[in-house]
Amino acid sequence: MSASSFVSRSGRRPRAGSRTGVGVTRPGLVWAVPATVFFLLFAIVPLVLVAVLSFTSWNGVDAPRFNGLANWTKLLHDPVMTQSIWLTLVLTAAGVVVQTPVSILLGVWAAGHQRNRAVLSAIFFVPLLLSATAVSVVWRAILDPNFGVPSQLEWLFGDGNLMGSQSGGVAVLTFVGMWQWTPMHALLYQGGARAIPRVLYQAASIDGAGKVRQFFHITLPQLRNTAITSVILMVVGGLTTFDTVLILTQGGPGTDTTNSAYYMYQQAFKSFDFGAGSAIALVLVVAATLISLAVVRLSGYDKMRSTAEGL
Amino acid sequence: MKRRAFAVALGLTVAVVGMTACGSGGSSAGGDSGTIHVLVYGDASNKVEKQLVETFNKTSKVKAVLDTIPGADYQPKLNTIINTPQAPDVFFNWGGGSIQPYVKSDLLLPLDDMIAADPGLKSNFLPSVFNTAVIDGKSYGIPMRGTQPVLLFNNKKVLADAGLSVPKTWDDLLNAVRVLKAKGVTPFALGGGDQWPTLMWYEYVFDRVAGPELFQKALSGDKSAWESEDAKKALGMLKQLVDAGAFGSNFDSVKFTDGGSPALLAKGKAAFELMGSWEYATQQDASPDFAKGDLGYSSFPSIAGGKGDPANVVGNTNNFYSVLKKSKHPEAAAAFLKLMYSDEFVKAQLAIGNLPTTTGTEQFLSTAANPDYSKYQYDLVKAAPSFQLSWDQAYPPAANTPIHVAVQQFLNGKLDVNGFIKAMQALPAS
Repeated sequence: MSASSFVSRSGRRPRAGSRTGVGVTRPGLVWAVPATVFFLLFAIVPLVLVAVLSFTSWNGVDAPRFNGLANWTKLLHDPVMTQSIWLTLVLTAAGVVVQTPVSILLGVWAAGHQRNRAVLSAIFFVPLLLSATAVSVVWRAILDPNFGVPSQLEWLFGDGNLMGSQSGGVAVLTFVGMWQWTPMHALLYQGGARAIPRVLYQAASIDGAGKVRQFFHITLPQLRNTAITSVILMVVGGLTTFDTVLILTQGGPGTDTTNSAYYMYQQAFKSFDFGAGSAIALVLVVAATLISLAVVRLSGYDKMRSTAEGL
Repeated sequence: MKRRAFAVALGLTVAVVGMTACGSGGSSAGGDSGTIHVLVYGDASNKVEKQLVETFNKTSKVKAVLDTIPGADYQPKLNTIINTPQAPDVFFNWGGGSIQPYVKSDLLLPLDDMIAADPGLKSNFLPSVFNTAVIDGKSYGIPMRGTQPVLLFNNKKVLADAGLSVPKTWDDLLNAVRVLKAKGVTPFALGGGDQWPTLMWYEYVFDRVAGPELFQKALSGDKSAWESEDAKKALGMLKQLVDAGAFGSNFDSVKFTDGGSPALLAKGKAAFELMGSWEYATQQDASPDFAKGDLGYSSFPSIAGGKGDPANVVGNTNNFYSVLKKSKHPEAAAAFLKLMYSDEFVKAQLAIGNLPTTTGTEQFLSTAANPDYSKYQYDLVKAAPSFQLSWDQAYPPAANTPIHVAVQQFLNGKLDVNGFIKAMQALPAS
């Protein structure tokens, strides 16, 4: 089989050849088949199935029975679901607010050429190599109220009942999430900062701008696209936070830290109510898609505006 | 164009759903002929199960194959495969609510015919334990590990230092709380973060105050049981205990499963812990010196004026083997189940610290890993008029999370008495 049959449909003359030269045509649809098949099989089909399941009552043993809108009306009036959406949004927002500044500072610092930078960076990036489960287990031990850090710092932690209240639980989840994910985002910012043309800094220092001013007027604006990428990753990650909740708080006390992803798991795999679980999953999918789209739109990322204009 | 894509997606969905439906109706369990698959919860006790499968295979034409699923994944995975061709022939469960959905779906084989053929399959087990796997008058399970009653463990040294003895009555217990608080010791270690340790307190207080009938009534669907005077009294007493500081203030941040609450007891920061009989093995593992010298145990105190017999126990009665209806070799399964009251089984279980619940266990107690402890439990369970299975296992799995949430929220003050009653009344009916 000749390569040309992939490049263009049989019989049709290569169109782009006239403009960009022979052989640089747009690839044929055939090239997209493998990815499309996998995407259909592992993303679209399950998604459709979940949508169908959300209108059924299914315990995973008998055949699913259609029960109309029962799961959805139940979900609509379920205070735990309402709370879980709020918690998911709070956890996501807190994640972005806490992680972004730390990541930018660390990343920009790590992009430089200071003494010991390589060694320290390597240490900072260690959490990235650990699984979320390991991270959660370690922090659970460190934050144990009787034998961990809180028992030694009573002036700060009181009785150490960190995971016994909603605010405490949310704070712990946010903190552990930050500890775990900051390295990855710092890595993104490091790459972004390295790509900023040196001439900008040289010009700025000739104009008399100090380090701080350079940071705010060159580094930050130049990192705009990196920041948007990082924020979208944080948002999507935040919306689907699950493992840390499972190990650190199990959604408790009561349902005080039950976010939507954990609630979905609880309904489907602990209560074996796959219909209700699917409905929650669908809410999550739709919400995550809408929020990601909104971030892309509002930030102007979709316009692909370059940060290197005029250089 | 869009419409066509939708049609394709719909077609795929129907195809997949169709495939699943066929799968569930299709071929029977234990695909290859001549074997039965035995599925068990994967943990340290598998040693005995392996040994028994070997013993069985020595004489049986139909060979048994032991499959294990590691602990936490057991229930979801079992639920996933039980109605598929991959289903086992015989499987481990907790009796009660854990198998009820499968009985409802007509997947399990009532064992009454087997028992009629060999009455020993029933008569060789303690009735209070055997009855846990009786559903709607039919037997569905044979006890296959050890019993795990909930006991009140204590740190002998802490009690001696405080001049206290083991509490026999509720008043003793309240007095102990006062004395220990004054000494700066947390009276009761509680792994509230795990939620199920909290539930144990409810199980005992409700049983002592109202007798086992209240819970049985509620379980059978009469939701008024939860708002009875007795239920309110039991809740009031639990509240009184929390308000007196019996559990300290940070119990919801403590877990049993990560070693938090056992360490409180072992290190003398707490005087008691209400826990399943596995606490002993946990302490032997984590704090061997403490387990040897200072770990004491007693039954839950009596409550004056309560309707429940003070000899009643709660906890995990035992684990059970159930047989699937579509098993091709029910007679082989029956032969395998008979091993569960053999001397070999009892000795092997005792040697690894489990306490089997056959009537013949008594004569082998001296061979147990901890003879005194095993004898204490055995006598307790044998003498108990009622052995209430843990609430979260008596109800079907769908009620599990709501029960845990309710008991935790009532103890930490998020729910009041009426809130708790409403939560329990909203549990999915059995």
